[in-house]
Amino acid sequence: MKQISTSDPVLEFAKVRVRRGGREVLHISELSVDEGAVLAILGPNGSGKSTLLLTAALLLPISEGTVSLFGEPAVGRSEVRLRRQTSTVFQDPALLDMDVRRNIEIALAFRNVSSRARREQSERWLNRLGIKHLEKAMPHALSGGEARRVSLARAFAIHPRLLFLDEPFSALDPEARSEMIGDLRQLLRDEGTTAMLVTHDHSEAQLLADQVLVLFDGVQGQLDSTRALFNFPANPEVAAFLGYSIVDPKGLPELLRIVVPRISAIHPAAVRLTNDTEGSYSAQVIAVQGSHGDGRLLLAVGEEKITATMPVDRINELDLRPGIAIRFEVDTGGIIDWSGSG
Amino acid sequence: MDLIFDGLSEAWRLLVTGDSDVYGITFRTVVITGASTLIALAIGLPVGLGLALVRFPGQRGLVALANAGTGTPPVVAGLVVAILLWRSGPLGGLGLIYTPAAMVIAQALIATPIITAITAAAVMALPPTLHLQIRAMGANQRQYLWLITREARLPLLVAVMAGFGAVVSEVGASMMVGGNLSGETRVLTTAAVLEVSKGNFGTALALGFVLLAFIVVIAGLLTAVQQRARRQ
Repeated sequence: MKQISTSDPVLEFAKVRVRRGGREVLHISELSVDEGAVLAILGPNGSGKSTLLLTAALLLPISEGTVSLFGEPAVGRSEVRLRRQTSTVFQDPALLDMDVRRNIEIALAFRNVSSRARREQSERWLNRLGIKHLEKAMPHALSGGEARRVSLARAFAIHPRLLFLDEPFSALDPEARSEMIGDLRQLLRDEGTTAMLVTHDHSEAQLLADQVLVLFDGVQGQLDSTRALFNFPANPEVAAFLGYSIVDPKGLPELLRIVVPRISAIHPAAVRLTNDTEGSYSAQVIAVQGSHGDGRLLLAVGEEKITATMPVDRINELDLRPGIAIRFEVDTGGIIDWSGSG
Repeated sequence: MDLIFDGLSEAWRLLVTGDSDVYGITFRTVVITGASTLIALAIGLPVGLGLALVRFPGQRGLVALANAGTGTPPVVAGLVVAILLWRSGPLGGLGLIYTPAAMVIAQALIATPIITAITAAAVMALPPTLHLQIRAMGANQRQYLWLITREARLPLLVAVMAGFGAVVSEVGASMMVGGNLSGETRVLTTAAVLEVSKGNFGTALALGFVLLAFIVVIAGLLTAVQQRARRQ
């Protein structure tokens, strides 16, 4: 497992196993998050992302192994003390039935912070998150975006040494989500906060994280720097999860086998539609998909399927639909065949 | 109809002239139902919280038992307490049978399952993320329980109202363990039953009005607290 170490780890997992209902749902042999780093956890549904986060946040008991925060193993009575150096933001803002300002101050009150200091901190974060005008509002009167801002203000107000974010913006509409991600990115940078982020959104991970861990069935698939992971997935399983097409040359037309001689992953952006017949390959559109302006074409190429991405507007302009024959070319820089690895 | 009008005028007279018997019975009712409700709250609140928050084998069975307990017939509660406190019973040496203390015990036995069951249901109805969030904010066990109780405060007030309503209106248990002794264990409900059996409908109606007024005042106070909590 690749370790990226630049400074002291604030979070360490050693041979951690979590079992629930007699089933092992998490097995992390080794993992560490260094001070100042932002680690994103990606993985399919049910892969153990939230279990990992809850375990790291000392909110879920482990069956075996050791979780250490700030160099200290979390056991028994030390858990509350260690947890008080962290903050957690869940998908559901889970605001308490009290006004916004008190919601922000309550975590400080748990830490015996004086009322004056609580007031100063809440004031600072109300202003910072642009929710000063909502300080007396009750949670039920807030929009989804406003509630998330309050939960972020509450999390940052205690100056956490480690911040846990469990899909904090997944329930928001794309516009509000995009704005919140931008704000969070700036906050993390300005405060230098170490964070662990669980997300389904690859672009969110790319924007916010320095490192990414991909989980499958509770086990580490790949841990790498964000750039390395998205550009060089370590194996076909990770590549397929990241949206690469995994192709076996045996099922490809002969011409294409020249550029794809081994089982390989092709990045969707490396597949481009073209009108040129020279240097291009024929395919048939078998499905058109899209979300948030990004379109995806599923192409039948020989016996294999290859995905290509292009803007939805372009798909509509070309009137692409299942059954249509097209020609495409492949940027060889977007092909990974792992022949040089291991 | 004459019976009703005579009864109403007698009730009015007793209340306006400040009949010492009626006021004495009313005061005793306030003390006994108040004490039994407070005892039931002191037991039912932590037990209900425990049933909702602590996972242990048989948890579901105990929740079901508490739910079933909400329908405990007052005469059954009275019978159990009477057997325990009877002079030849296991706790007969305490000499509590036919005393206000016996009535408090019997009424607490009636109200406790009600408060327990509603407390457990109220806490279980809180969003699971809220429990995690409170712990994630660094709450210790005491702070966690306080905030959970605070978050469930509106249904908890309903639990208090339901427990109080059950004890203030019961007559079977009070009669069985209190004996309806004049000046000692006679409360509004047992006194009303006695007066009806004697054909004194005026007095019975007066007692009924006082009982209703008492319930309205307490329910009003609890509702005011509930609404204030809601506004906060």
